Amino acid sequence: MVLDKLGSALKGGITKISNAIFIDKKLIDGIVKDIQKSLIEADVNIELVFALSQKIKKLAYDETIKGIDKKEQLVKLIHDEINLLLGEKKELKLPKKASIMFLGLYGVGKTTTIAKLGLYYSKRGRKVALLGLDTQRPAAMDQLEQMAEKAKLPAFIDKKEKDPIKIIKQHEKELKDYDLVLIDTAGRDGLNKELIKEIEKLNKKLKPDFRILVMSADIGQTAKTQADEFQKALSIDGVIITRMDGTSKAGGALTACAETKAPVFFIGVGEQIHEIETFNPETFIQRLLGMGDLASLLEHVKSATDEKQQQRIEDRMKEGKFTLLDLYGQLEQMNKMGSMDKMLGMIPGMSAAKLPKDVLAKQEGKMKHWKNAISSMTEEEIENPEILEKQTSRIKRIAHGSGTTTTEIRELLKQYKMIKEMMGMQSGLAEGKIDQKMMQKMARKMKGKVRI
Amino acid sequence: MFNSLKKKLKSWVKKNEEEVIVETKKKEKATKSAKKIKKKTEKKTETKKEKLKQSPDETIEAPLEKKEFFVKFKKRLTEEKFEELFEELQIILLQNNVAYSAVDSIKETLAEKLIGKTLKEVDLSDELKNSIESILINPPSFLKEIRDSLEVKKPFVILFSGINGSGKTTTIAKMTNYLQKNKLSVCLAAADTFRAAAIQQLEEHANKLKVPIIKKDYGSDPASVGFEAITYAKKNKIDVVLIDTAGRMQNKDSLMKEIEKIAKVTKPDMKIFLGESITGNDATEQAKSFNESIGLTGIILSKADVDEKGGTAISVSHVTGKPILFLGTGQEYKDLEVFDKKKIVEKLGL
Repeated sequence: MVLDKLGSALKGGITKISNAIFIDKKLIDGIVKDIQKSLIEADVNIELVFALSQKIKKLAYDETIKGIDKKEQLVKLIHDEINLLLGEKKELKLPKKASIMFLGLYGVGKTTTIAKLGLYYSKRGRKVALLGLDTQRPAAMDQLEQMAEKAKLPAFIDKKEKDPIKIIKQHEKELKDYDLVLIDTAGRDGLNKELIKEIEKLNKKLKPDFRILVMSADIGQTAKTQADEFQKALSIDGVIITRMDGTSKAGGALTACAETKAPVFFIGVGEQIHEIETFNPETFIQRLLGMGDLASLLEHVKSATDEKQQQRIEDRMKEGKFTLLDLYGQLEQMNKMGSMDKMLGMIPGMSAAKLPKDVLAKQEGKMKHWKNAISSMTEEEIENPEILEKQTSRIKRIAHGSGTTTTEIRELLKQYKMIKEMMGMQSGLAEGKIDQKMMQKMARKMKGKVRI
Repeated sequence: MFNSLKKKLKSWVKKNEEEVIVETKKKEKATKSAKKIKKKTEKKTETKKEKLKQSPDETIEAPLEKKEFFVKFKKRLTEEKFEELFEELQIILLQNNVAYSAVDSIKETLAEKLIGKTLKEVDLSDELKNSIESILINPPSFLKEIRDSLEVKKPFVILFSGINGSGKTTTIAKMTNYLQKNKLSVCLAAADTFRAAAIQQLEEHANKLKVPIIKKDYGSDPASVGFEAITYAKKNKIDVVLIDTAGRMQNKDSLMKEIEKIAKVTKPDMKIFLGESITGNDATEQAKSFNESIGLTGIILSKADVDEKGGTAISVSHVTGKPILFLGTGQEYKDLEVFDKKKIVEKLGL
C-alpha cells in the first residue's frame, strides 16, 4: 500500500492550517487542490472528493468563525471526513455455525480469498468446508480443489454439473457437519441483470448467514456502481479487498464500501495462502494523517499558534501599524517552530511558494542574524524603521553591536517593508479595498525577492 | 463503452459554445450602438483598453457601452478562464476513469492551443477531439503484421502479461478463436505454472478450441514451457504460439524479473499487456511497469463490458505510448473487438 502521497497531502494541509496566521482564500484553495488531487489519484469517488472540498471551503470562508477556532474546526473537519470516507471498524462476528457466500466481479480473487479465509478460520479452531458453485469459468472447480488442498480443507465441488442449485443439493447433508461453510460463486458484473438474478436465486436457496463482496484494490470510478448494485440486490454484509499488496491506494474500493455501509472485514496482501489480514481503518488513518486521534491533532494546532501574538499582529494591522517588533515577534514564533518551511506558510500569500531545501537552510541562518540585529536597535528604530534608511551611521552601529553586516540589516529592512506592504494589502483585503488579483501579483513579486 | 463520457462531453462542449454565442450577440448589439462614434475615438479607446486591464481603477472617458464592446470583441481566452473552463471537463474525464496524469496531459495540450485565442476562433469540440486523438494510438493491422512476419519466419510468438485476475487466460482463448477464424493455426503454452488450476483452465479452452497445448507441472520454469511450445510449433508448422503467464503485481521485483526472463528466452514477436477497463489510476502504474520491464508491443483491455466508463483506454495509451489492440467485451469466445480509435472518438460524439 503506497499511501505516502495521499498522506503527505493531508498532513501538509493540516500543518499549513495549523501554522498559518491568516486562513486566506489562497491558502485554502491550495490545500484543497492538493487534497483533491491525491484523493482522486487514490481512486476515491469524484463526487465524494468534491463534496469534501466544498465542506472545507465553506468552513474556511465562514467569516463568523475566527482564529484558532477556525483552525481547530478545519482540522477536525478533515479528520472526520477522512474517517467517514474509510468507514468504521467492524469485525466479522461469526456464530457457532455459519455460512458465507462470496461474490464479486471476474478475476477479483474470490477463490483465492476463500481458501485464505478457510485457512484463517481453521487455524482458529473452526471446522471449515469450501463449497464450489462457480460452474461458469473453466477449471474454477479445479482451482478451488487445489487451493483447498494447500489449506488442508475439504472442498465440495462438481466438475461436470452446470447447475449450482444441484451442487448445493448434492452436498447439503455433508455440509451440516461443518461449523463454517465458505461458498465460491462465479464472477459477475453487478450491472448484468441476468447474472444478478442468478445470484439472488442462489442467495434464496442457500440462505447464507453472510454475503461478502470481494473487490480488488485497483478498481477505479466504477467501484461505487458495483458496490451499489450488489448491495441493492443482496444487501451485502461486508467486503474483502484483494491485491492490497500492489501500488494502488484502494481509495475506490474503500470509499465505495463506506458509502454503501458495507464494512471491510479483511484485506488480501499477497499471493500466498496465509496472506490475509483483518482491516483496521484506524491504523489506516494513522498512516494517512501521521496522527491517529483528533485530540493529538488539535493539540498540534494549538501548540503552533500563539494566540496573543497573533491577536497583537492582527490589531496592529488594523491600525495600519507594523513595526520591526512585530517582525521580531514573528521571527520568534518561527524559531520556536523550527523551520523556514513553516514560516513560509505563515506569511500571507507565501504558503504556496516552494523553495529548495538548501535555500531554506541559508535563509534560516539569516533569520538568526536578523533577530540579533533587532535586539541591538533602539525602541525608536524598532517602532519606526524608516529612520534607519536615511541614517547609515545607525545601521553601522547596529551591525557592530549585533555582529552582523550592514548588508544584512538593509536586507532586513527590505523584508520589513515588503511584509508591511503585504499586511496593508491584507487589511485592505478584509475591508474589500483590494482584490485577489492584486494579492496574487504581490505574492509573486515577493516570491521573487525572497530568493537568495 | 464510452457512452457516458460522450454524453457529458457533448453537453460540455455545447454549453461553452453557447457562451461564446451569447458573447457574440452582445458584441453585435454593442457594434450597433458604437457605430455612431467616429473611428478616431475608437482607436483611442482601443489603446486605453490595454491600460484598463492593468489598472481597473482608472476611469475611461468613453461611454460604458462602447467600453464593453471592445472588451468583448477582443476577448481572448486567458489562462484563468481556461482553468475555469477546463475544471468542468476535468471532472467529466476523471469521473470516466481517466487517470489524473492523463487528464493533466490533455489539459496541457488544450492549454497550449487555446490560451490567447479569441473565443470566436476556438472550436472546443475540435480541439478536444484532437487532444484525445493525440493520446490514443491506432493499432497496426494485427493480422497483417502476423502474416507479414510469417513469410519470413514461423512461428509468430505472442507473450501475454498482466497482473492477477486481469483475464489473460480467457483472452488467450478468445484470441485463439479469432486467429482460427482467420485461418491461422495456433498452439498454447501454459506458462502460468503458479496459480492453482491455471493449467487446467487453459487446457479446457484448448480442448474446446481443438488446439495443441504445451504444459509442464506446477512450479516448473515458465520460460522453458514457452520455449518448448515454440519448438513444438516449429516442428509441426504451427503459425502462432500464445504464451500464458502467471499474473503478477507490478511492484514485485522477483516476479517482474521472471517475466523478463520469459521474454528473453522466448523472444516474442509481440508482447501484450492485459489490463482491465475497470482499473482506476493504478492502470497507468501497471502498464508503465510492464512496459519498462519487457517493452510492450500493445495492450488489450478486458472487462470492457463491465462499465460504461472508458477512461482506462486513454490512461494506458497515454502512459505507454503503445496502441490498444483489442477490447474484451464479454464471456464468449467471440467477445474480442478490434480496437478502433476512430470509432472511439466518434463514439465520444466529437
